[in-house]
Amino acid sequence: MKPAPLDYAAPTSLTEAVTLLSDGDRDCIVIAGGQSLMPMLNMRLARPDLLVDLSRIADLDYIRDDGATLAIGAMTTKRAVEHSAVVAERQPLLHAATCLVGHPQIRNRGTVGGSLAHADPAAEYPAVAVATDSEMRVLGPAGERRIGAADFFVGYLTTALAPGEVIVEVIVPVLGAGTGWGLAEFSRRHGDFAIAGAAVTVELDSDRCCSQVRIVLFGVAATPVRLAQVEDLLRGEAPEGDFYRRAGEAVSEALDQPLSDVQASADYRRHLAGVLSRRGLAEAVGRAAERAGRSRP
Amino acid sequence: MSKAQIHVTVNGTVYEAAVEPRLTLADFLRGDLNLTGTHVGCEHGVCGACTVLVDGRAVRSCLMLAVQADGREIATVESLAASDGRLHPIQEAFAEEHGLQCGFCTPGFLLAVHELLDHNPDPTEELIRDVLGGQLCRCTGYQSILRAVHLAAAKVRAVRTADAHA
Amino acid sequence: MAIEIPNRLEDLPVEELRWVGRHVRRREDPSLLTGRTEFIDDVVLPGMLHCAILRSPFPHARITGIDATQAEAAPGVTAVVTGADAQLWCNPARTAPEGWGTLCLATDKVRYVGEPVAAVAASSRYLAEDALELIEVDYEPLDPVVDPFAAMDPESPLVIEDKGTNVMLQRVFTWGEVDRALAEAAQVFTESFRWNRLGANPTETFGAVCAWDPLTLDLTVHGSIQSPSSFGLGRAADLGIPSNKVNVKSHPHGGSFGGKGGARGATIACLLSRKADGKPVKWIEDRTEYLTAGGSQAWDRHYEASLAVDEDARVTALAVTLVDDLGATGEGFGAISAAKPLAAFTGPYTIPVARYDLTLVATNKVPASPYRGMGPPPHFFVLEQMMDIAARGLAIDPAEFRRRNFIPPDQFPYTIPSGNEYDSGSYEEVLDSALDLAGYEELRKLQAEARTEGRIVGVGVASAIEPGVFDWNAYAIVGMPQTGVPEGATVSVDITGMITVRVGFALEGQGQYTLVSQLVADYFAVEMDAVRVVQLDTQSAPPSFGPGGSRLGVAISGAVLGACRRLAEKLAAVAAGLLRAEPDEIELRDGRFRVKGRPGSEMGVAQLAGTMLARSDLLPPDIDPRPEATHVWTAPGRTAADEEGRAKSYLTAAQAVHVVMVEIDPDTGFVEIVKYALADDCGTRLNPVVVEGQTEGSVAQGIGAALFEEYVYDDRAQPLTTTFMDYLTPTVNDVPALDKAVVVTPSPFTPLGAKGCGEGAIHTTPAAVMCAVNDALAPLGVMAREVPASPHRVWELLRRSEGPS
Ligand SMILES: Cc1cc2nc3c(=O)[nH]c(=O)nc-3n(C[C@H](O)[C@H](O)[C@H](O)COP(=O)(O)OP(=O)(O)OC[C@H]3O[C@@H](n4cnc5c(N)ncnc54)[C@H](O)[C@@H]3O)c2cc1C
Ligand code: FES
Ligand code: FES
Repeated sequence: MKPAPLDYAAPTSLTEAVTLLSDGDRDCIVIAGGQSLMPMLNMRLARPDLLVDLSRIADLDYIRDDGATLAIGAMTTKRAVEHSAVVAERQPLLHAATCLVGHPQIRNRGTVGGSLAHADPAAEYPAVAVATDSEMRVLGPAGERRIGAADFFVGYLTTALAPGEVIVEVIVPVLGAGTGWGLAEFSRRHGDFAIAGAAVTVELDSDRCCSQVRIVLFGVAATPVRLAQVEDLLRGEAPEGDFYRRAGEAVSEALDQPLSDVQASADYRRHLAGVLSRRGLAEAVGRAAERAGRSRP
Repeated sequence: MSKAQIHVTVNGTVYEAAVEPRLTLADFLRGDLNLTGTHVGCEHGVCGACTVLVDGRAVRSCLMLAVQADGREIATVESLAASDGRLHPIQEAFAEEHGLQCGFCTPGFLLAVHELLDHNPDPTEELIRDVLGGQLCRCTGYQSILRAVHLAAAKVRAVRTADAHA
Repeated sequence: MAIEIPNRLEDLPVEELRWVGRHVRRREDPSLLTGRTEFIDDVVLPGMLHCAILRSPFPHARITGIDATQAEAAPGVTAVVTGADAQLWCNPARTAPEGWGTLCLATDKVRYVGEPVAAVAASSRYLAEDALELIEVDYEPLDPVVDPFAAMDPESPLVIEDKGTNVMLQRVFTWGEVDRALAEAAQVFTESFRWNRLGANPTETFGAVCAWDPLTLDLTVHGSIQSPSSFGLGRAADLGIPSNKVNVKSHPHGGSFGGKGGARGATIACLLSRKADGKPVKWIEDRTEYLTAGGSQAWDRHYEASLAVDEDARVTALAVTLVDDLGATGEGFGAISAAKPLAAFTGPYTIPVARYDLTLVATNKVPASPYRGMGPPPHFFVLEQMMDIAARGLAIDPAEFRRRNFIPPDQFPYTIPSGNEYDSGSYEEVLDSALDLAGYEELRKLQAEARTEGRIVGVGVASAIEPGVFDWNAYAIVGMPQTGVPEGATVSVDITGMITVRVGFALEGQGQYTLVSQLVADYFAVEMDAVRVVQLDTQSAPPSFGPGGSRLGVAISGAVLGACRRLAEKLAAVAAGLLRAEPDEIELRDGRFRVKGRPGSEMGVAQLAGTMLARSDLLPPDIDPRPEATHVWTAPGRTAADEEGRAKSYLTAAQAVHVVMVEIDPDTGFVEIVKYALADDCGTRLNPVVVEGQTEGSVAQGIGAALFEEYVYDDRAQPLTTTFMDYLTPTVNDVPALDKAVVVTPSPFTPLGAKGCGEGAIHTTPAAVMCAVNDALAPLGVMAREVPASPHRVWELLRRSEGPS
């Protein structure tokens, strides 16, 4: 269980990194924290010719409060996010998700950019990116562009990144003043990848009805799943009575062919998706109500 | 696949070495530096036996390449006890509470706990469990390790208080 | 020559014990805590090469060609071996049952995913793995044998064609008039169960460094080897060399639990060494190799059981049918796990008659191996579920039902229908301790309240026996007919009175060198630090089997106390000569050899040893002048198995009662353990802290078995759990705090009255957890018949139930 032969480069600038990655003759990939890539290298499931390590590039490790958004450098570790008071306050959903990623020993090295680029179906970050309408700022041979999370995750471990492109930064809108959030996941052991999970945001109007609902599932399909039809169904409803039960059932029903594996059959995942959406919604509604209460004079 | 020159400080000693880029940090420490106290139990990041400190942070040495350690400071289990053989308070606590049986997982636990107590010598149970959750032990059933970590925290606090008074 | 070994703590020759029976800090810890202990992967020998093994991607395929020429020419490569080399130099592996072995490298066909096909020795593991990629193997896939029931169909493809069947063994053992008991019973309860494959997964995998001289055929093996002597015999047989050519040195290992069976890998490393002109070849199994095809997978079982009960709620018969899927060959000795339940077939109960209908089947999965407990844990899972089913059927409290059927204290030694004898016990006392500790009444109240709130809460009470100190005769029914398992120790004193004990086994976590030091220090009234324990290789060590079958604590105590006794006799004879007394006038007390009734006339150990070493001319004639003695201990009174497999096999019978409360999440099926209390009796506790550690670790493994761990194969026999992300062992967050109570009923038959306790709680934990799960599910009209009760399985049950979901 040892990596196949490879070359290694640790560029000190992004342009250099992009140039290295754009060598069409060789299979060149980025290594960030290595917490997903290294197991694949050790098992020889990944066998690049060249590893381009982003860790020597200055200024990819930051969390910046830009008012309506947070800008987070791609090489920022999850540890830094976890310990960031700004993130905890301004985007608590991202903060909560961070604490569910593996263990401190993993979060010490695993990066924000890495989790988004790796696009593991069971990972928290891609779902949170979709739930928060985050954008990836990426740089490639053709220059810089921004990709919205909704367009970024295109398949199993696959993103919209073009060859040679790297994530430079993720731009995460802060949680709206009246928005409540919820995050529910199910795994068999604390710190494991989720068997299924749901990231939820809710806004309540003055009548305590849902003016905005967003539910993004992870662990159930190749990419994060946003169920617009369920969101439509719930919008305008008052979150009381059998609201949560109906929401959960609607999620389960709306899911098309959930994943099936050793830990969970498709049916079980379908069921869990409903349960976790329900739990996430309840959390989100609770927090939305609390925030609304707080913002009222 | 040319070799890369690296410059690392391990347990306070500076090493210059030429390494194959694919060499893992775990294999470098164990094979090239003969620091075999760092153990390898899974090579995919789950068991935690290979945990070392890189710039003070507990990380998996099986999930890092030796080249990536260039310019960094590394601490392994060999650095914990004093040169006169006196055990570190965390090691003492593990011995007192029978926090190890076969001892294969132990170096990883010690370093993970070391980082934890370095930053917070009075951690909550939840925090302790978050850290220990990333380390597998097949022998002890963890109860004695939990006791050892609480004891270690008390010892570390006592040392700090003593140092503060001195 | 028989020698008397003290059976009680009071029999040791000191006024007051300073070490034995006390919480003693382990002497092995400083070296482990500082990373100094030399584990097998830390061993570096001059000229050493590294081995990597090419493994089959197919569960069942014919090999139509292998081309290794490119690999032979690859950078750093010294040797490549394939099945052709194995044919030249190896014998098929020894197996139980006999005749179900193959060569260490596949020749004509592969029989499981991960089966070794070729191997490379190179200057580094990296280069060896590179070279593997250059070996070309042509396979012609065959239909795999996956399901053991389908495997028994005469039309099924055959795993080993020569055998003409996939049935390795089919026998029915009947102990007493079972049919009559079933016919006459007030009620008979019958149920079927499934225990899925799981395994040891010590944190360190298996490893070995082998050097086989092509000229002399001398073979040296270093390894993380549980039993160096048997391992040596195994390699001698595999490689067709006389056993005295093999020298095995075991290294401290990172846990074993029976799951260090890397025999094939070691044999392959031997072949590579021979081909590499005798250079040492290191093979370290990596975790994916271990999970895919290592010596770890155990207990892949399909059960049906019947329990007969009379009007007084006494169990009158137990009948168990077991179909055990042993995988492709018998080389892992997984079969002994099907035999060992005979040592405690009827558990702690007075069940008078029993039947065991046993079928061992070959399939295209990894050959089964031992795992902690060696077979009884699944058996007790079944027996204890049956006890609960009967208790529910009779509307009796499950604790009360067990109490009624316990073997009473005055009936020991007690012979069970399957032939083994239990040494001693006080089962009701243990039950009461556990119930008290758990607050059983209170738990039942809490449960009743929870149920009114619609929560799914259950309480399990289970009891099991841990047979201790194994003997080969226990496994006679699967073809291991020997009796006698030796353990030896040599105790010697140097001229300054420092004591060295030489043993043949390596450390693996149970603190045995500490135990040895405790015993010797108290025997001769010295400090623990005055005793050093040294491990020797098989060519120099006293006869030794090592740990396994919950034996070593007891066996090494016997060996050490015997050696101390012999040494004391020798020293007494010397003292008699020097003090001009008769040897029988000399007594050892508190480290002094005194002439009885002659105060002041005495000598110390150091003085006597010094005299022996320096002035042998002063010694009485016929005295061997070395101040040392060896004793080899075997369990006394073991008997050969009769035609129904009945034997006095295991020497001791520890007993435990566990009380567990669980709550099941109706949404997810997740089982949470909310309370865990246990009481156990394993006789005298020589180092209580170590015994407790064994219990805590074993409970964790038992919880893993009940709720988490499972080797999963798909319906084409492809393994799906080949990483630690898929094979889930418990973490700190999955093991509850334990309340523990201790009962001590010393064994009348063993050194100091200790009982085997190393395998411990795993005998009881899975049963207890599953009893709790089923107690929770009972009102919903469903039963968890399958282990592990993982969330998706429990959720399926909830879905089918009439209750809340
Ligand atoms: C024991 C364990 C438990 C874990 N548990 C969880 C969990 O519960 N939830 C979870 O989400 N994750 C989990 N992980 C994965 C972990 O979070 C990884 O850190 C993360 O998935 C990848 O981040 P990284 O920085 O380590 O990326 P790397 O492993 O270095 O890279 C991953 C992939 O992303 C690419 N990449 C990295 N950075 C960039 C970039 N800036 N631009 C373009 N491409 C890039 C790489 O080329 C590679 O293909 C776990 C890992 C381990 C070992
Ligand atoms: S060896 Fe690195 S985590 Fe297991
Ligand atoms: S002490 Fe053996 S694995 Fe932890």
